[in-house]
Amino acid sequence: MTIGVLVDVLLALSLVGLSLQVVTGRALFRDLVLFILFGLLIALSWARLGAPDVALAEAAIGAGLTGALMLMAYRRLAAGGAADVSPARRRPLLALPVAALAGILVAIIGLSAQGVERVPDAAGTLVLQELSATGLGNPITGVLLVFRGLDTMLEMAVLLVALLGAWAVLGAAHPGRLHQVDRETPLVSALLTTVAPVTLLIATHLLLVGTDAPGGAFQAGAVLTGCGVLLVLTGTVRPRAAAGLLTKLLAIAGLAAFALIGVSALALGRAPMTLPGMWAVYLIETAMMLSIALTMTLLFARSRALGPEQR
Amino acid sequence: MTMGLADLIGATLLVLGCAFYGAGTVGLLRFPDVYNRLHALTKADNQGLLLVCAGLAVLSGSWGVTALLAVIWLLGLTAAAVSAHLIARHARHGPDPGVSAEEP
Repeated sequence: MTIGVLVDVLLALSLVGLSLQVVTGRALFRDLVLFILFGLLIALSWARLGAPDVALAEAAIGAGLTGALMLMAYRRLAAGGAADVSPARRRPLLALPVAALAGILVAIIGLSAQGVERVPDAAGTLVLQELSATGLGNPITGVLLVFRGLDTMLEMAVLLVALLGAWAVLGAAHPGRLHQVDRETPLVSALLTTVAPVTLLIATHLLLVGTDAPGGAFQAGAVLTGCGVLLVLTGTVRPRAAAGLLTKLLAIAGLAAFALIGVSALALGRAPMTLPGMWAVYLIETAMMLSIALTMTLLFARSRALGPEQR
Repeated sequence: MTMGLADLIGATLLVLGCAFYGAGTVGLLRFPDVYNRLHALTKADNQGLLLVCAGLAVLSGSWGVTALLAVIWLLGLTAAAVSAHLIARHARHGPDPGVSAEEP
């Protein structure tokens, strides 16, 4: 048994143990922290499975952003005096049978996947064969932008619908008031001046290497969102009541860039969603990154727009 | 499998780093209050991160990777320092500061 297998077994056991703890936990806050830990271990698992793209996205979104969102929700609950309510201690009779059946289902899927022979013309191998024609070095980006471009475009649509839904729920209410970190603390402003530029740098790097190595619009957008969340939490940018033109344009940028380039291929007599060249890849990825980062930051800030502090 | 001198040094640094992480975790679990725990955690973990990064740098044998690891260590230091400060501050201003009132 090699060390790698040992690490995998440890990881799998910790995942099962952690998920049990999260579900049967006694205190809400503890469950939240454990859930964030769970997300980090999932990211590690993706890395172990050789999927660094997914690992990056999971670490940034699954653990980081979701964690921040849940902690924010917890804070609101605590302010309303509702956080002491521990999750229901009832154990429904159905829970055990359902868990057992789900476990059996997963085991069956896993065991049957073990016996599957590689089909010569499966989608994955075809993608790897055809990848060189796209000019992209990273098969993940190839699938996302070229081979299954429509799916990715629709994902951007889903994100936009989520934002519109959140705006509808917000209604005419005043922009969300957030508890902010005291910026008088010298360390916090030092953190901002260091981390914000570095985050921008990392996001740009992820976006640019995404064509050839792990990275891309989703990872870059998630990292940029981290910067946005930091700015919101420190009160550097404040929620605004109405979205201006810039906010609206940025929110639809990813979907619009994808759709326009995809449809314009028709006018040029090519198949729809055919990308005209590498410049289109960079354009779409940049637009998607901006849309993703803006949408998620707005969702986090519970607001329609963000702007610098008004005096 | 033969181990060169670089591999040996790298592995030693990694193990030492893990020992620091272990000590920090023991401190987190065993120390009585927030401040002591933060002390144990941030001090020991920063040292652990340095040793682990140094070990990986030696193992990689590449200056590019070494520079990246140095950046990772610095970012880790920054995050640890600020979050420890904020947690301690929060505890200090909270309902139960847990320290005696002998402030200057």
